[in-house]
Order: sequence, then C-alpha cells, then structure tokens
Amino acid sequence: MTREIRIALTGNPNVGKTTLFNALTGSRQHVGNWPGVTVEKKTGRINRNGYEIEVVDLPGTYSLTAYSADEIIARNFLLDEKPDVVVQVVDATNLERNLYLTTQLSELRVPVVIALNMADMAEAQGDAIDRARLSEFLEIPVVRTVGTRGEGLDTLLEAAIKEAKTSPHHEHTVGYGDDAEAKIVTLVDALSADRNLAKRYPLRWLAVKLLEGDENVVSKVREGPASVRVQSILSSIDADEYEAVMADKRYEAIAAILPQVHRTDPKGTTFSDMVDRVVTNRYLGIPIFLALMWGAFELTFTVATPFMTAIDTLVVWLAELAVASIEPAWLGSLIGDGIISGVGAVLIFLPNIFILFLILAFLEDSGYLARAAFIMDRPLYAIGLPGKAFIPMLIGFGCNVPAIMATRSIESEKDRLLTILVNPFMSCSARLPVYVLFAGAFFGAQAGGVMFFLYVLGIVVAIVSAKLFRSTVLPGDVSPFVMEMPPYRLPTAMTSLMHMWSRGSMYLRKAGTIILLGAMVVWALASFPYGVEYGSAESFAGMLGHLIEPLVAPLGFDWKVAVALIFGFLAKEVVVGSLGVLYGTGEETLSEALLADPGLSAATALALMVFVLLYMPCVAALGVIKKETGSWKWTGFAVAYGIVVAWVLAFVVGHLAPFFIGGA
Amino acid sequence: MSDGIKVLFGAVLGVLYVAFGLLQFILAAFGPVESLEALLIPGDIFSGFVLLVIGTVLLTGARKLSGGAADGMPFIYVGILLSVGFGLVELLALCALGADAYLVGEWADWSVMDTITPLLYLAVLGVLGFLAWGREFLRGIRAA
Repeated sequence: MTREIRIALTGNPNVGKTTLFNALTGSRQHVGNWPGVTVEKKTGRINRNGYEIEVVDLPGTYSLTAYSADEIIARNFLLDEKPDVVVQVVDATNLERNLYLTTQLSELRVPVVIALNMADMAEAQGDAIDRARLSEFLEIPVVRTVGTRGEGLDTLLEAAIKEAKTSPHHEHTVGYGDDAEAKIVTLVDALSADRNLAKRYPLRWLAVKLLEGDENVVSKVREGPASVRVQSILSSIDADEYEAVMADKRYEAIAAILPQVHRTDPKGTTFSDMVDRVVTNRYLGIPIFLALMWGAFELTFTVATPFMTAIDTLVVWLAELAVASIEPAWLGSLIGDGIISGVGAVLIFLPNIFILFLILAFLEDSGYLARAAFIMDRPLYAIGLPGKAFIPMLIGFGCNVPAIMATRSIESEKDRLLTILVNPFMSCSARLPVYVLFAGAFFGAQAGGVMFFLYVLGIVVAIVSAKLFRSTVLPGDVSPFVMEMPPYRLPTAMTSLMHMWSRGSMYLRKAGTIILLGAMVVWALASFPYGVEYGSAESFAGMLGHLIEPLVAPLGFDWKVAVALIFGFLAKEVVVGSLGVLYGTGEETLSEALLADPGLSAATALALMVFVLLYMPCVAALGVIKKETGSWKWTGFAVAYGIVVAWVLAFVVGHLAPFFIGGA
Repeated sequence: MSDGIKVLFGAVLGVLYVAFGLLQFILAAFGPVESLEALLIPGDIFSGFVLLVIGTVLLTGARKLSGGAADGMPFIYVGILLSVGFGLVELLALCALGADAYLVGEWADWSVMDTITPLLYLAVLGVLGFLAWGREFLRGIRAA
C-alpha cells in the first residue's frame, strides 16, 4: 500500500531550496542568485520506495520569528500544516548563520533532516565539515547535497523517509540561562491551561516565542484561557532584552559545536570581494549600474535587428497573401489585416524580448542584481523606500505581476504598499515592443539611447512618486535594509537560456491569446458598421477613437493612437498590435507606415513612449495589485495616479522635445 | 607582472577612455568636427557616459595602486572587464547591423567604418589586459 509523506523544504534565503526542489521533483520553478526569489510555497510530487512524497518548497526565512509576508507563509506552514518531515537546506559555505534556524526548528518537535547544500563550493574554498559529528551533536541526519548537479538526492530522500517513519520525536533545546529558563517554566505552566493550544504546538516553543515578544504567538494565546496569566507574566518583562539574550544563547550553542565539526582555511580576498569593492563603491556603483543598463538596451535593440527584419518581412508577405488569396474578402481581411498584421506586429519584437530576458538572466544568475539593490539602498532610503524595494523594481523590468508579488519579502506593510504602488512605473518587457517600434522608426541609431532614457525615466518616476507618497498618503519611517550578498557565480549558458525561455515563452503565450483577441476586436471595430472603409473615421474604431481624441490631442496623439492606448490596457503589447491593425500596413512595414503618417513626429513618438511607459498597469498587474493590497481603493489610486502622471509627463516631453531633437 | 605595469596600463587606458568619453559629449553638443572624423567618434552622450565610467574605474585603480593601496587592483581588473564587456556589446551590434543591411539589400551601402566606435577599438587594449591578468582575477569564480 502506498503511504503519503509530506516534506517541507525550508532554510535561509538563497541557499538553493528551489534548485533542490526542482532537482527532486523535476519542476522548473524559477531560481535566482539572490535572496527572496520564492515568495509563496510551491508543491511537487514524487514516488520513492513505495511512498508518494509531496515536496513543499517554502520561502526562505532566517528564523521562526516571522516579519515579512513570505516568512509568515513559511512559518505558518511548518507550524499549522505539520509536515511529516522538515528538510532544512543549509548553505555549507555559511554554516554558522544557517544553524541559527536549526536551533529553532529543533524546538518544534518535528523530524528534521539537514541537506548540507552547496557542499562543492564549501569544499572548493577549503572548508571541511564533519557531517557525522554534526549529525551526532544535533541529533539530526545531515546529508551532503549539490542541488545544481543533483548530487545526494537519493540519500536525502531516504533519510527523510526514515525520519518521517520514526516517532516520537523529542525536542532539542538550547539552554537560555537561569533567568530565561525560569520564565519559560512559568509560561509553560500558564500555557498548559490552554488545552487547544497545547495540542497544536510544543508549549516550550510557545513560551520561548512569547518571551521574544513574537506578535503572532501573542495573538494565538490572546483568545485562550491562559491569556490573563500569560499577559501578567509578559507585562513584567522586556521582550527585546530577552530576544537578544536568547539569540546570544543560540549562537553560543552553535559556537560550541562549530569548531568540532567545521574546519576552514583562512581566506584571502575572494573574487566576489574584489568585484564588490568596485561595483558597490559609493561613487562608482550607480554609474556602473547605469552603464550596464545602457549596454543591455544597446544589445536588446541592435542584436535583434536582423531577426526583426526577417520576421517583419515574413509577416508582411503572409498578410498580403492572406488578403489577396482568401475568399470571401472579409475573411481574408480578418486573417490578413486583423490576425496576421495585429499578432505579427507584436511577434516582430520577440527577438528583443528574448535578448532582454537573456541579459537579465545573466545579471541575475551572476549575483549582480543583488548588488544593484544594495547600491540603490542609499538613494532609496533618502526618499523613503527601503533598499529591499529595489529587487521587486528590478523584477518589474521583466513583468510587473511577479514583481508586485515579490514585495512580500518587505516586512513593513507601508513600505510594501509603497513599493506596490510605484512598481508599475518600472518598464516591463510588454512595453519594449512599443519602444523598439517608435524609437527604431523615429530615432534610428539613437534608438538604444532612447530606450535607456525610458527605462531610467521609469525608475526616476517611481522614486519621485515614492517620495511623494511617503510625505503625504503613506507617512512613516523606512525599515532598515539588511541583505546578504550572494557570491558571484559564472552563469552557465544552459541555465540562462532556460530562464530566458521560461520568461520569454510567456510573451509567446500572450501573443496566442490576449494579443490575438485584442487584434481581432480591433479589426472588428475597424471593419464595422458594414460597408464603411476599413479603419476609417466612420468605423466603430474611428468613432471610439474620436470620442477619446480630445483627451489625448494635447499630447499630439490622433484617434488611432487613442484606440491603441485603450486596448493597451489588456496588455501593453496590444498597443503595437492595434496600430498594426489600424494602419493596415499593406506592402509597407508598420514602421514605414508610422513614419509616413504626417501626424506623427519624433517628438510625438517620444511623448507616446513616455505615455505608454507610465499610463496604467495592465489588467493582470491590476489584478495582482488588488490581491496583494486587498483594497479596491489603492487599486483605483494606482490607475488614476498613473494616468495623471503619464499625461503630464507626455505633455511636457512632447512640447519640450522639439527644442532638443528638432522634430516638432 | 609588477604592480607598476598595472598602474601604467590602468592610467593610460583610463585617460584614453575619459578623453574619448568627453569628446563624444562635445560632439553630441556641438556637432561633427572634421579633424576628428578619423577617430570614428559618434556624437552620442549615452555611450560617451559609458566611456567615462570605464575610464574613471581604471583611473581610480591606477591612483589607488600608485599610492600603495592594494584595493586599487580590483578597480583595474573590473575596469578591464568592463572594457572587454562593452567591446563585446559593440562587436555584436556591428555584426547584427551588418547582417541586417544584408537582409534588407543595403549591403553595398553598408560600411563597417560607420559602425566602429571608440568602445569597440579601445576594447582591444582591454583584451590585452585581460589576456595578461584575467586568469589571476577570475580565479575562484564558479559556475551558477
């Protein structure tokens, strides 16, 4: 008979939990070389030795006193879901800090197995860990693993199955000193009056957490029969002081074990140390970051050019062929002018999207993005945002949806809300086709620079908006930013290509779904009422556009652009798809059609790119803003604020640009 | 090789990058200058900024190292990496633009000289530095 086992993978951030999870379950969850990649739990299943094993990958946490939303997810799972065995993934290169969590897991009275991960890196830097002795001291099985190469997985699973079958498990406690221990005994006595609580959690663990002032545990006790007595005990103590004392005692316990199990060579300056001295330099850090961004956009634009030309030629040829050869004419028009021109106008930019994602994957896997967050901490702190907010902002370069979810790693609710509200200003990849189209058409060799300007503008608007919100609607102090710098690693072609594909394929799926739908709707609006000239002012699209045109006319946009902007709400790529349909490009490419439009100039193009950058989150991003804030008010605010900022800045850019680029 | 050679290398390459960066800013502001055409300098402030950044990193390394500070070495190494990295960016751009000219039938009008920039030809010196000290610097980095 098959028995089910549930294994929870826990550990500090960036120790390789998701890599191990992927290796164990065959999943392809996103991994990255910085802390905080996983913000929600993920599950996978495997069969082993007659057991059906559910593996749960939890967000990283440094301790069981949870502060941020992702840490709360991890802790609540361990406490409330009661997995059969907890596998703590430990970074073998940083044993001391990782064992801090072990001391807390040991108090939970759950079976624990340690996966000593990144063991190859530890060995390469001259560290030697005596696993048998470590296991003996902790009374926990310790298994050597290298997640990236799948080493040690069988042994790990066998150890986990064995631990899950062994019962009962006694808790391993750290001695917290006479004073704290006396308080723990008193609290355990008081807590024992609450039978419901006693059934669900180890009382000593609850007492320890109460002494540390853990808000979550205090609230668990508050509704029960032990509340009055517990409150009376807690009112006489300083929780901060006890928390510090108990942390010291845990580290003392670790310090007593480490010299007996861990031998390390004194290290000289490492590669990471050397690079960090330069790229995190107070004066050079930000210029180097900006230079790398410019390089990324230069590559994104230029290297993609021949691929774009090839796809563009194919799209134009296919559209013409469809219109000319498919009967009846309306069906030919739907397929040629609508579907092929609309979706094709977006697919042309597939090379740019893939190249940008490849570069982002390279920077992420190398560990540089964590440094980017570090160097941005100072300016962000000055304007009221924690440095931790920069990681979701960087993720926003790919897609705002996971970026907004990544704010779960921010402890303070106000900081988190602030970061969510400014995140849509980070230029996601969906906006890239609009930039490539207009910058390529109107700015020629300067296109890469224009794209760089737009990305920087997005960051600047996000930062200025954060300052504005901090001093008005969301006042408060900024939480301090503590982040561990992962070591630099040389990205492998395979992992970078896999990251590129997993993100880029999302764009392909959108082309086949929402963009296709958008193109068909715009085609229908441009074709009806029956008998009107396709895409004329008399069509439904024309009527809709003319209705909105007065609002965007001061920005230099005509009715066609107005229609495209409305449908861009579905997904920003649809702006390009809609223009592809409305311009009904025929023999010329969309770029040529736009250049030939007397209503469009370089200045108008720049204003339009600024407007698309800022005007409102797409429908998917709005959905996740509602989910993460739990508020329609803030969701509506994000839309209204974005539209106002976009309008004002597009107006300013559109009217000032002619003085600089001479393209009125 | 001694630190003296690294100081000299960093200082010379750093000055070249800064000088070409400043020239790009000047040309972007005032337009082309006939006497500078042979240097193939575009009037582009963005790549000019990148040249200035690389030059400043190298000069910082040379200054620190000449003053006896050991932490000047990483600046020279990172400056060389940036030089090679951005040279590679420009090389890829050159190849891509050439391929595009071929695809759209403008190969006859395309000239490689129109696409070469200081970021590309200064990187040749960066490559020499990388060949000399790259292995020493990259020792210890591991695959992701």
